[in-house]
Amino acid sequence: MASTVIGTGITIEGEITSDDDVVVAGTVRGKLSAKEGITIEQGAIVEADVVGGSLIVGGSLTGNVTASERVDLQSGARVVGNVKAGRVTIADGAQFKGNVDMEV
Amino acid sequence: MAQTRTTNRGGEARIGSGARVRGRIQGDGNLVVEGHVEGDVTLRGDLTIASGATVRGELVEAHSVSIAGLLEGDLTASGVVRLSSEARVRGTVRGMSVAMDDGARFSGRLECEFELPPELGGASRGETRARAAGRR
Repeated sequence: MASTVIGTGITIEGEITSDDDVVVAGTVRGKLSAKEGITIEQGAIVEADVVGGSLIVGGSLTGNVTASERVDLQSGARVVGNVKAGRVTIADGAQFKGNVDMEV
Repeated sequence: MAQTRTTNRGGEARIGSGARVRGRIQGDGNLVVEGHVEGDVTLRGDLTIASGATVRGELVEAHSVSIAGLLEGDLTASGVVRLSSEARVRGTVRGMSVAMDDGARFSGRLECEFELPPELGGASRGETRARAAGRR
């Protein structure tokens, strides 16, 4: 288990880069990139540009998203920013403001 | 494969071995660093710097700190500081108590409160500053 977990009480201001999965339950401001999956859990606050393999959002995200695989916005997610990914799902109950680019 | 997880309540955090953080980390919970951190760290909980991990920051504050990796910077701990045999530390270390294993490499200043035994001219309470010459 080499993945990175930003717990609920933790705030990171700056740049996070990871070769593995990243799970955010706390607060991240700046830039977040991971080669694998990124999960923004319910209650998490991310104000950052996010680059990853796949992205699951259940919390609040402000920033532009680029995923090489897919982006899933779950019910309860609140996303403001542009999303660029091959596959995008937006669940009923997710709030989203921005553009979607699926490279068609 | 990322999937939904609702784990890690209670402020646990880990910077994995493949991860690098450049910036400031603050928090109430504990933090385990297995990767690389460049920047200040301020925690109410405990900080663990695992073997192979590096932390470089001007200010590193936590409750108790255990180090098996590399730390460069000024460390202030409200609890115990433990340097294991693989630890490499450069900078000032302030702690309630400091434990250093055989093999740990430390160069810098060590500030902790303890009472000297009488034969060393002790009996004077208060802060005693020991300067440790680093073995490199």
